[in-house]
Parts: sequence; structure tokens; C-alpha cells
Amino acid sequence: MTFIILLLGLGVGVLVGLLGIGGGVVLVPAMVYFLHLDQHLAQGTSLFILLPPIGLGALREYWKQGQVDWHAGILCALGMLFGAYAGSLIALPIPSRNLQGLFGCFLLLAGFLLWRKTQIDTSAPGSGQENVRA
Amino acid sequence: MPESMGRSAGIFAIACVCGIASGMFGIGGGVLLVPLLGLLFGFSQHRAQGTSLVALIPPTGVLALMAYAKEGFVSWRTGLLLIPGVFLGGIAGGILAKKINPRKMRQVFAGILVLLGVWQMLDAWWR
Repeated sequence: MTFIILLLGLGVGVLVGLLGIGGGVVLVPAMVYFLHLDQHLAQGTSLFILLPPIGLGALREYWKQGQVDWHAGILCALGMLFGAYAGSLIALPIPSRNLQGLFGCFLLLAGFLLWRKTQIDTSAPGSGQENVRA
Repeated sequence: MPESMGRSAGIFAIACVCGIASGMFGIGGGVLLVPLLGLLFGFSQHRAQGTSLVALIPPTGVLALMAYAKEGFVSWRTGLLLIPGVFLGGIAGGILAKKINPRKMRQVFAGILVLLGVWQMLDAWWR
């Protein structure tokens, strides 16, 4: 069991670096299905995992390429600090079952937005600052 | 100057929305922040990802975590076991991101998210 958990962490970490995300979006369902944690417990544990700067190694790689907007990043961190507290107050009284369903809705929305972003990248390849592509 | 103020305020507002999702669903919020920075503020994909990682470095979830912990909704042991893998994997992913076709990769990931989302909804509400 311990080994499975370690391996799961490694797999999620690769996604963190690849996509610039925290990893919670994959961690939560993984903990619910593979480790059989309750939805609230999985979410709380995911927040705990995200507490240390696990993305630091990945950030360094982006920074070396000059792909970091520090000003915007710090603003986002501030907004998320307060937003996250508000979000937890909303989530805690919701029954686990409904919370799991809402989580599903959220994944659909996030997937849709990510997909839309890739569509825009094709229709206007030169509009961003970056148009170098392997 | 007012224009950049407006942009800053907009980014802050979007971050608050991502934060609410973060606390509600126990996630980092990057999965929402990355596409929104791109769609609303014209960030290139790599820049959006790098900037999102900055936002994830400080412990933004600490207030939310405390709220969950108070209700006993944290498995500390599972968390401790997952942390080293996520950290090491993150470095590998950061290096890989430069090598593989980013558009294809994101489309696959978006597809996975939609499937996971449908699965979670069915599992919660259909039984």
C-alpha cells in the first residue's frame, strides 16, 4: 500500500511539472478511487500535500526559460489565499456525495476551458508573445 | 498606468475565483488559473504555466487546510507519503514539458478531465 502511494505521488508530480498545475485535481479522484478515502478526507489531504512548495523544482525549469510573470503570480497567490478559505467554508457543510458530484462538474468546466485554450492557440498562432513551438 | 492597474485588478479577481474553487475542492487552483490567464489576459501557454507555479509556491491553501483539519478531514500519513513523489515528479515534468508537443498534451489532459468529471458525477448522483 505504501509503495502504491509513493508511486501515485510520482505520477501526479509529472503532471504538475508538465501542466503547471498543483496536482490536486488529479490527486483528489486518485485518493477517492485507489485509496478509498472519503471525498472530504481526500480534499483535506490534498490541501495538506499542496502546502509545501512541491512545484518549486518545476518552477525553476520555467524560470530558466523566462516563462514566469512574477507580478501576476504574486497577485494570484494573494487572491487564492483568501479565496481558498472562503471555498473551504462553502465545502465543509456539503454532504460528501454532493461534493463529489460538484467536483465532477468542476472537472468538466476545467477540461472545457483547457480545450478552448488549445483551440484559440491554433486559430491565432502569432497573437501571443510566444510562437516558438517544437 | 490605469490600464495596467485594471489588468492587475482583473488578475486578482480571477485568482479569488480560483481560490474559492481551490478551497471547495481541495485542489491547487492551477488547473483553472492556467486556462483563464491564457483566455482572459493573453498569456502564452508556457507563461501561464510558469506564473501559475509561482502562485502555488506560497502556502495559499493554509487557511482552507486549517478549516478541513478542524473537522478531521485530513489523512496526514497519506499526505506525507505522497509529497516526495509529487516533488520529484514535478521536476521531471518541467523538463519534459520543453520536449513534447504542448498542444497535443493539453488536449489529452482536457479529455481526461472531462472523463474524470463525468465519472465523478455519475458515481455521486446516478446510483
